[in-house]
Amino acid sequence: MSEISTVDPSAAVMDLKRRDARDKLTGRTRYTMDRAGAGMLHAAVLRSPLAAGRIRRLDTSRAAALTGVHAIVTADDAPGLVGIGIADHPLFARDVVRYIGEPLAAVAAERPEDAAAALAAIEIEIEPLPAVITMADALAEGAQLVHPGWQDYEVLFEGGRREGNVAWEATAIRGDVDAAFARPDAVIVENTFRVGRQNHLAFEPRAVVAHYEDGRFHIETSTQVPWTVRNATARVLGVPASEVRVTVPPVGGGFGLKFDMAIEPFAALLARASGRTVRLVNSREEEMLTCLCRENAEIRIRSAVTRAGEILGREAVVLMDCGAYGGEQIFLTTMTAHTLGGNYRVGASRLVSRAIYTHTAPNGAFRACNGVYNTFALERHTDEIAQAIGMDPLAFRYRNVLGDGDLGATGQRYEGEVLRPMLERMDTLRGIPTAATRMADGRLYGRATTVGTWFVFTGPSAATVNMNADGSATLVTSGVEIGSGSMMTGLPQIVAATLGIRPEDVVVRQADTDAAGFDVGVGGGRTTVSLGAASLAAAGEVRGKLLRVAADMLDADPEHLTIREGRIEVAGSNGPGLSIAEVASRAQTLLGPIAGTGGFTSKGTPAMSGCAAGHFIDALDIPVFAVHDCEVAVDPDTGHVEMLAYRVVQDVGRALNPRAILGQIQGGVVQGMGYALQEEVTIGSEGNILQTGFETYRVPLAPDVVPVEVSLYEGAPSLGPLGIKGAGEVPILNVGASVACAVANAIGRPVHELPLTPPHVAALMLGRRSAPVLPHIAGRWTDNLVKKA
Amino acid sequence: MTLRLTINGRESLAPDDPMTPLVDLLRERFHLTGAKPVCREGFCGACLVMIDGEPTLSCLTPGGLAEGRDIRTIEGLSPAGRLNPVQNALEAHDAVQCGMCFPGMVMTLTHALRRNAAPSREELRHALTGNTCRCTGYERILDAALSAAGALQGGEP
Repeated sequence: MSEISTVDPSAAVMDLKRRDARDKLTGRTRYTMDRAGAGMLHAAVLRSPLAAGRIRRLDTSRAAALTGVHAIVTADDAPGLVGIGIADHPLFARDVVRYIGEPLAAVAAERPEDAAAALAAIEIEIEPLPAVITMADALAEGAQLVHPGWQDYEVLFEGGRREGNVAWEATAIRGDVDAAFARPDAVIVENTFRVGRQNHLAFEPRAVVAHYEDGRFHIETSTQVPWTVRNATARVLGVPASEVRVTVPPVGGGFGLKFDMAIEPFAALLARASGRTVRLVNSREEEMLTCLCRENAEIRIRSAVTRAGEILGREAVVLMDCGAYGGEQIFLTTMTAHTLGGNYRVGASRLVSRAIYTHTAPNGAFRACNGVYNTFALERHTDEIAQAIGMDPLAFRYRNVLGDGDLGATGQRYEGEVLRPMLERMDTLRGIPTAATRMADGRLYGRATTVGTWFVFTGPSAATVNMNADGSATLVTSGVEIGSGSMMTGLPQIVAATLGIRPEDVVVRQADTDAAGFDVGVGGGRTTVSLGAASLAAAGEVRGKLLRVAADMLDADPEHLTIREGRIEVAGSNGPGLSIAEVASRAQTLLGPIAGTGGFTSKGTPAMSGCAAGHFIDALDIPVFAVHDCEVAVDPDTGHVEMLAYRVVQDVGRALNPRAILGQIQGGVVQGMGYALQEEVTIGSEGNILQTGFETYRVPLAPDVVPVEVSLYEGAPSLGPLGIKGAGEVPILNVGASVACAVANAIGRPVHELPLTPPHVAALMLGRRSAPVLPHIAGRWTDNLVKKA
Repeated sequence: MTLRLTINGRESLAPDDPMTPLVDLLRERFHLTGAKPVCREGFCGACLVMIDGEPTLSCLTPGGLAEGRDIRTIEGLSPAGRLNPVQNALEAHDAVQCGMCFPGMVMTLTHALRRNAAPSREELRHALTGNTCRCTGYERILDAALSAAGALQGGEP
């Protein structure tokens, strides 16, 4: 391979310090919520107080006449419907309301208090309708339909079955499951599981500053997906997408919350109506009320195994509450096949995941969406299988984890032996487990090792690299810095290694849909992979051009040149050379400035034909594996669980910035610990979310956590640039699973629900709480499917 | 009514209601947006500022009660663009992720290390009970604070 085409991956590896830390530490960073403009108006949104009802009257005339009020917009101003898979979601409730907190109108006024007064002056009458609050309600015979007109919606992605309150259904069927369950040597193990919602609690609420200039909208927003905001805003407003420009200041936490259009169109409409800059920032109460939470889910899983530990067959039904609109859950039904259907070699399997409409706030994406609870269910189920056949749970995992050539639930063939060596790595990291069950202080001790399967969400990304005559380079993408550091360290490392310059000499352009090409967004572990691959390609083009110009200048063959440490030199000691700035400057004069562009998209890894239906992704381009180990102590009197130790072996492909990855793992594990032990969103009988802020929704604090011991597992196959995989999303994947398995081992009783709050654990120990009963999941797997028309 | 406030050593006038939360005065009136009103309940700690040297929740402090007192925000904690030892250590340990909680974290840790030059890790852990972080999982913040211990005794800031 020539020097022109080959970049030494090791040149990109470093513990690079973040360039944005200093401003963040001195309060100078301006997040969207901190931005202000001259003559800026303040916006507020009127929200539905009812979960289900018919809008009889909505009169804004008195509100519009109030002092300081500049504009009021309603459903009449936003004709379009948006969605993922199904276009079912209007910007404002139209004719009916479907959840508490659903927007009815938005106002812009001189001061926040004027906007609040205007909201109070809007006259509304809503006639209550029966509401379906739980998935059991929604699936009951004759249930009220959340969308009586579901058949009329535009289908944006073909293939999913739908019917009534079933917004979407995805199935993955491989092999003869009935035959597996009918085998005389089969031991059948069946479990049900239930989990609640998880709020991201991103510190920066969803926030937007909108302008309307020269017939175009300019939206500054706290998002992970500038292109989604551009396209979806255009769709709901009924304007061409080219009339919407989205730019993104530093984002104060995402975790998936900001992976969809949010409140941007309200501010955009108000800016157009008022001719002024408009700022809209959600209050914490609004964030709690309308958070696109990790969805609550209900799961039944059943397996046929032999006494020797072979998994003959498996079937599962996964119900995912999408709330009042389909949103991300339509897409996420896809993930069950790869999460619940991951981890283990299974003879035959059939899995169905169904997104269910309810009259509750819509759910959305949250770090390792779907995977977190399916891994919890699968790993707890695995421990119960091991117990049923009298096999050590770790030995059972060694025997059955996916290995080279094994088939996944959609018939994808996994490549490479990864999970088994990772289990061995964990054995080394952990040492020989202690046999203790009770600690010196009387508490119950438990430990568990779990495995997890995740992936990198690939998809389209674009990058441009401009080589500047001073030897620096400017990287232009639609990537957003949400806090993980990928945009501020990972991408500059890749570009710098390609161009032989220092990462600090790579200027990173803020995301701007007017400047950079399409991008799916920052999430799904894709930033360093997809944007990284596009950036690598763009920088590679620049490198080739630089080397050709340098070859002319040095009168050498481009193949004989090296490019590093800011210089291009003829290979060999004491070869003549030039600084990259000199070459770039000469190129600019002779040929015009040097630039390169790059693009990336999914590879479309094949699945087995006919296995998957209603799936957005049939097979994983880049699987990612994780092995976690957890030790807990349980107070037998109170049910309080203390985490004693936590260990992670994570498949990272190549660790581009080990220090940054370790930071992501510590943070992700602690977020998962919150999900496992304390974070609880509860919904009242009227459909109201009961937690209104930090006092009632408790996330882990410094005294709750432990330092996570980590071993990065490198070298597994990856289609990612330089062999990397996404590392920021997966750390949360099997925390719920590990904690639940460890607690079950400590108390000697099975765990089927999260979070494991002290009252929950105490009830388990007292035998007052058993596995959830889910009558709305039919006993016969096929009875759970939407009937073919 | 006009409020007379001393912010980062500078006398400043605010034509606002004395019940206006200090955090809103700082941000909207004086464009000091380092303090973040994240929860407005006193639990997250992202809005902490020093008032007469004590970390104080600016979301729960009426502006009128801050008159005549020394208000120091993250922007004015150390002179022009310099980092204090806590900030330095947080940068060096690569502790920052989204960054929203750090203005408050810096206030709490600066104060804790002024009061105790040699705190244990557990003491620092408990000192952070009023500072939530959703990104980092805290341990690196503790590493950084421990490394800065001793550097804040006696001197400013």
